[in-house]
Amino acid sequence: MTSSNTSDVLTYREAVFQTMHAALRDDPRVIIIGQGVDDHKGIFGSTAGLLKEFGPHRVMDTPLAEEGVTGIALGAALNGLYPIQTHIRADFILPAMNQIINLAAKYKYMFGGRFQVPMLIRVVIGRSWGQGAQHSQSLQSLFAHVPGLVVLMMSSAQTILESYPYVIRHHPGPVIAFEHRLMYDLKFHMNELRVDHSPLTSFRIRTGKDVTIVATSIMVMEAVRAAEHLAKYSDIDCEIIDLHCVSHPDTDMILKSVSKTGKLVIADTSWKAYGVCAEICRLVCEKAPNMLKAPVVTLGMQPAPCPTAKSLEDMYYPNLMDLTDAIARLVKNRSNHGIPLPDEKSMADVYKKFKGPF
Amino acid sequence: MKTHPVFADSYEELFYKALRIRLFEERIIDLYPSDKIQSPVHLSIGQEAVAVGVCQALKPSDLLFCTYRSHAYYLAKGGNMPAMMAELYGKVTGCGRGKAGSMHLAAPEVGLMGCSAVVASTIPHAVGAALAAKIQKQDRVIVAVFGDGATDEGVYHESLNFAALHQLPVIFVCENNGWAAYSKVSARQAYSIVKHAGVYGIPTMHIPEGYDFVKVYETFADIVTQAQRTRSPYFVEVQMFRYMEHVGVGDDYRQGIRSRDELEAWQARDPLMIRKDLVAKYTPAVQSEIDAAVRYAEASPWPGRDELLKDVV
Repeated sequence: MTSSNTSDVLTYREAVFQTMHAALRDDPRVIIIGQGVDDHKGIFGSTAGLLKEFGPHRVMDTPLAEEGVTGIALGAALNGLYPIQTHIRADFILPAMNQIINLAAKYKYMFGGRFQVPMLIRVVIGRSWGQGAQHSQSLQSLFAHVPGLVVLMMSSAQTILESYPYVIRHHPGPVIAFEHRLMYDLKFHMNELRVDHSPLTSFRIRTGKDVTIVATSIMVMEAVRAAEHLAKYSDIDCEIIDLHCVSHPDTDMILKSVSKTGKLVIADTSWKAYGVCAEICRLVCEKAPNMLKAPVVTLGMQPAPCPTAKSLEDMYYPNLMDLTDAIARLVKNRSNHGIPLPDEKSMADVYKKFKGPF
Repeated sequence: MKTHPVFADSYEELFYKALRIRLFEERIIDLYPSDKIQSPVHLSIGQEAVAVGVCQALKPSDLLFCTYRSHAYYLAKGGNMPAMMAELYGKVTGCGRGKAGSMHLAAPEVGLMGCSAVVASTIPHAVGAALAAKIQKQDRVIVAVFGDGATDEGVYHESLNFAALHQLPVIFVCENNGWAAYSKVSARQAYSIVKHAGVYGIPTMHIPEGYDFVKVYETFADIVTQAQRTRSPYFVEVQMFRYMEHVGVGDDYRQGIRSRDELEAWQARDPLMIRKDLVAKYTPAVQSEIDAAVRYAEASPWPGRDELLKDVV
């Protein structure tokens, strides 16, 4: 993340828009279908103007019929199209669970490999400005639990540019990609795109020797900020893995890192129980429990529906101070580690770009 | 392997196709106690005429989406019989490599694009395939087959609305046998199916004679011609009678669910019951085809460990 305005930076929104535009331009199979994709707001700008350029057959608004539209996208995929379906909040994917879990996830296997349903479902996780219980859920583990689905979490503009063109071109199955609303307006430094291998895996984005941080989505960015803070104010050297493909993570990468550091922090955007935190713990417990020099530390949302009041919301999500403190305690093996913490209590205060309401 | 004989006329051709389905399913009933077929079967006996009439009007390139009660459609659309029997046996030579069973038959080579055990769930697929046909300017029509129970579901309404809104070349075929498992239509629906479908502006047709494959075929052929020409949706409800119980190879008359009088009234009009001359004429050829399918299934290997995690993503 940066506030500079040079050509090697790109906002999350611009990254999504570029991939959507290129997909429509380069691949006649692609249609974008979802509630509001053609309106003046265009899914937070990620589809803005595409209707005008590509027409209503390629950029389609839909009835409020989440299950039906997902089934329609699946049927279109069976007959030669590549549908990109959108949900402006992840919560709205829930009425489509029948089509996703009972049908899309099974269409290849259940018919003995006779069909493929290439389709991308983009969903946006909401956070802050009072999004509340039904505009804030981060449902990756529900889908990653089910064999047959590929589940991605976009942590940066870079991962968007690497992942979306790849899955549209090369992965002939259903992919659910979680975007994060708070990152839409942020600018990201762009490195050279990693195009030599499939992005349906995890990425090590920082090398370090003292602790492994496995993170998802916006927590990857928070982990980088915590690592930079600790590098400045202490000798703690963090290694960070962007889990990215939560359904098919690079388990070797994680185990190798933990075997080096002996310490593991997992920072996810969702609830801990039965989710990413629990799953990464399972991996380490099953494959290499002796690697751990200390108990695993996990960070996630509090085990409650998301409250709207800012006072409660600030307690509900782990912030940079919580994450930095958790890493320092784990590495120093004591709570009075003496390392100054960032005096930041609310992520929403930092990322002032998101002004609400939606 | 085509073993179809030369038919005296088109009536006998349709008769033969219906008889082939009935005898195939009666063979399932014979085999079931042996546990060689370990898959929940939803038999179409009594309903064959609709599948035969509908499929006779379709080309292999026309796509069909069905339900868990689709033995009849698989055979009528031209699916391979030995591959179907092998699938029921759970063999790797089955049309779904032993992963589909009776409820998930498919034969994309002849346009059968999948069958689902979750009621109404393939209706939007037909609409989506029709959307793709429209966008890609294909000349095929798409058919969604479902029961009266499926019209209870929300996604059915979502699908009809979308098809009508975008004027898609999809034909909805509602097989009304009056029952959703053991729930009567009168206990489930406050609406008339055809009247309700008409509310979306979709032209509708009601065919009371679901036992009459000629009537179904002729009516449906007109509808297909019309859908081909207008590239817009159509809705057909066919009244029919399921002779057997919802799932399995028994019936539900002794349990007092339905009365035998109803069954007998329907059977009195069923060509496969009445035309004993044609049954006698064609049974040997059909039985020999079924025998070959059974031999193929029995001789085929089980799927092995290499299949377990194949084709997951």
